[in-house]
Amino acid sequence: MRLPRLFRTTPFRLTLLFLALFAAAASAFLAYIYLATAGEATRRTDQNITREMRSLVAAYDRAGVDAVNQSLIERAASERPFLYLLMKPDGTRISGSIAESPLEDVRGAPSRASFSVTDYDAQGRLVKHPARGFQERLSGGEILFVGADVSEDQAYVVKIVRALWGAGALVIVLGLAGGLLVSRNVSRSMGALNDVVAAVRNGEFGARATVRGTRDEFDELSEGVNEMLDRLERSMAGHRHAGDAIAHDLRSPLTRLRARLETAYLDVEAGKGNAEEALGQALDDTDGVLKTFGAVLSIARLQAAGQAPDQVLFDPADLAADLAELYEPTCEDKGLEFDAELTRDLQVRGNREFLAQALANLLDNAVKYTPAGGAIMLRVRRRSSGEVEYSITDTGPGVPDEDRARVVERFVRLENSRSEPGSGLGLSLVAAVAEAHGGRLELSEGPGKVGEMGPGLRVALILPRPA
Amino acid sequence: MRILIVEDDLEAAEVMDRGLTEAGHECVRAPDGEDGLAASRAGEYDVMIVDRMMPRMDGVTMIQTIRREGDQTPVLFLSALGEINDRVEGLKAGGDDYLVKPYAFAELIARVEALSRRRETGSVQTMLRVGELEMDLIGRAVHRQGKEIDLQPREFQLLEFMMRHAGQSVTRTMLLEKVWEYHFDPQTNVIDVHISRLRSKIDKGFDKPMLQTVRGAGYRLDP
Repeated sequence: MRLPRLFRTTPFRLTLLFLALFAAAASAFLAYIYLATAGEATRRTDQNITREMRSLVAAYDRAGVDAVNQSLIERAASERPFLYLLMKPDGTRISGSIAESPLEDVRGAPSRASFSVTDYDAQGRLVKHPARGFQERLSGGEILFVGADVSEDQAYVVKIVRALWGAGALVIVLGLAGGLLVSRNVSRSMGALNDVVAAVRNGEFGARATVRGTRDEFDELSEGVNEMLDRLERSMAGHRHAGDAIAHDLRSPLTRLRARLETAYLDVEAGKGNAEEALGQALDDTDGVLKTFGAVLSIARLQAAGQAPDQVLFDPADLAADLAELYEPTCEDKGLEFDAELTRDLQVRGNREFLAQALANLLDNAVKYTPAGGAIMLRVRRRSSGEVEYSITDTGPGVPDEDRARVVERFVRLENSRSEPGSGLGLSLVAAVAEAHGGRLELSEGPGKVGEMGPGLRVALILPRPA
Repeated sequence: MRILIVEDDLEAAEVMDRGLTEAGHECVRAPDGEDGLAASRAGEYDVMIVDRMMPRMDGVTMIQTIRREGDQTPVLFLSALGEINDRVEGLKAGGDDYLVKPYAFAELIARVEALSRRRETGSVQTMLRVGELEMDLIGRAVHRQGKEIDLQPREFQLLEFMMRHAGQSVTRTMLLEKVWEYHFDPQTNVIDVHISRLRSKIDKGFDKPMLQTVRGAGYRLDP
């Protein structure tokens, strides 16, 4: 059988457990009260009976059976709450307020017991009253019974017992109600979270838990879950975007590759001979596709890691000098003036390999887009903020103001650059590297238009001051 | 050259085997680290090509084991990963070089052959000689046919690497890694420009060009 949802919740089960423990404790407590009150009533009755018995026995010892008989008759007529019976040694009644001894062993002495006596109430109905009584054999052999109607005491005890039962029931009802209330609250909060989890599991990545502003652990959990989902969603959006972008960017080289292979295949089949060239080009295309994959992978890993691995302190001018040395001949070859202006004795913290790759990407771009006769400047300087800035300025066509934010995005290539080789990932990777170092990438206009040249582009990779 | 190929992708191993055999090498294949370990203990090899990720025993564990046992055979790690950390980890485990899949076959052969050479240079050399070319490693001087050639420091390093691997193809990536110590792939032809500068210095004015371009692979210094 499947229990209703509420009864399966952890808080409700805990409530039941505590209720059980509480009920056990309450039962013990109530049992103690019962024993204390009921026992006390019986003891007092017995004391009274004993006292009455003692006074009658004393009267007997002093004045004999007739005095007792007389005394009984007087007492029975009075309003005393006692029951009396004086019997001959064989148990036959001499006098008293009851007909015969309720005690079985009339000759046994002394004895006491609980029993009931019958009486008629105000309406003349037969009622039974609970009673207690003792019986003693007097020194002359007669038997004396003294009892007391305890119905009033009993009624008192019954009231107490009823009150106790009532209290017990109240405890359970209140405990259960409280438990249900608490469980309902808790399970409502948990349920809301569970709904979010279920929604996400079903692919609704936009689902978020409600934060009620109570600052309790549910709010904390909800906030944590929401934050986690935000990150997950961003990361997934990134992946999805990368996926779309890869599909988009790889489609044309793959299409070209396929066409080349097909042509080569048909040519070879027909006995024509330029299959070798087609295969060579196909290999080149494949390499291009693989490069794109590599760049996408690097960006994804940097973004996933959040921080570049293996960061060390180093002089940024050293790295710039290395790259200047690597790129200077290429610039010269292309008829570009290359200059490096490096401020020494600064420090940055970073992953040299990633930063080198970022600068190489920027230099690649500058070399690629600056026409012969232009100039490229690599500069390292300390900004007034204490940040370290690598900048590369070229005198190429630059990037129009409105496109500057866009070119950093993955796979964005401006129309006039589509003919150049490249994956469209160069600047995205630089931006990812900057971010992974807590830095940023800034694009601005170069030195301006000079004749056919310009206005140029200035790209700055800004790294935070090392802590 | 005897080469042990430890690779769980059997098709890739087959292609490697074929290519290396065609290049004149003798190959033995093992499908995972445990078999590779057994094979490396059983035979002598000039180079081992070991995939990092394999069932039963991965490449790093296998190489750590043979290095502990004193086997110094040069190892080229292959990996589908390719983050800096992976490479550093592979080299720390006792690998000598690291190549990311997928790779150009020319790159693989060039690296394997470069590794085999590494073992032969046991003693510290002060002088390198390739044909007419002489390099004085202490005096930092280069002569061809007795004529001094003036080189920039980086050109000197570049030529030293080419001379140490004379007769072998070296790829642009290898040069960038071993001479400049960068592990990325520039979009522009930076390495080609450096090579052509070096070439103009060592070959210009001599009748026989020594620094050859190997199509689809890179460069080779011939005696």
